[in-house]
Amino acid sequence: MSQELMFYATAFLITVCSVMVVTNRNPVVSAIYLVGDLFLLAAVFASLDAHFVAAIQVLVYAGAIVVLFMFVIMLLNLGPEGKAHLRIPAPELAVLVLTIIGFTTIGTLLLTGQAPGVGGEWSPEAIQTNGGNTFTIAMVLFTKFIWPFEISSILILLAVIAAIVIAKKDKKQVVHD
Amino acid sequence: MISINHYLALATVMFLCGTLGVLFRRNLLLVLMSVELMLNAVNLVFVAGSRLVNNLDGQVMVFFIITVAACEAGVGLAMVIALYRRYGTVETSFLRMLRG
Repeated sequence: MSQELMFYATAFLITVCSVMVVTNRNPVVSAIYLVGDLFLLAAVFASLDAHFVAAIQVLVYAGAIVVLFMFVIMLLNLGPEGKAHLRIPAPELAVLVLTIIGFTTIGTLLLTGQAPGVGGEWSPEAIQTNGGNTFTIAMVLFTKFIWPFEISSILILLAVIAAIVIAKKDKKQVVHD
Repeated sequence: MISINHYLALATVMFLCGTLGVLFRRNLLLVLMSVELMLNAVNLVFVAGSRLVNNLDGQVMVFFIITVAACEAGVGLAMVIALYRRYGTVETSFLRMLRG
């Protein structure tokens, strides 16, 4: 019972934080709410027996990515966004309507049907006896997913090079302030 | 045990918030943050599904999504800085060169 209470409280807070990220006018406050969102999501991951994912969520997302956002916000010294003049052009409206239709379809499917579940080999008890969540994930990651793992290291290298090249100061172009 | 539908509903709400942010915010940084929100909703679906079917592939997939999200944030923020140098603003309404 207390687990369900925890989940509903966390879900409520996640919803509030998500709405605040999108609706807040000040980018710094939005980033703070994003941190709260990611922390609460880590709590949900932990309640789903995904302890290593929860730890990585806090370390990488809340610790690295949002700090990067914060640095850029501070670097650009952005003030609060101006009053939103309510412009709703046609393409955005079309995408929004299609998104809502899609989510309504998913919602009806969820409410009427039951998601199928086939029994895999890694139940929480099996993971416990195998040596814990981290050990088992590492075992799967470095055997079954070894090639995607290697390719993702190349992706990170490319992203580092791209970020340096893009953010490099170009002498020829006009520089504002 | 909480039904998986609850997790999927939560992920749907998060994803919808992210979609609205991408579509209607005018600050480029906020658009990137909304993309992070959408990626996190997908992560939640992966972990909940992994727990449902007792299979760890979903949790491994979350790591790859986090990797891609980190790369995307790095390159995206570098582009934001380059755009700010060029135009002096990060509002999306100023960036209409590719709009035709």
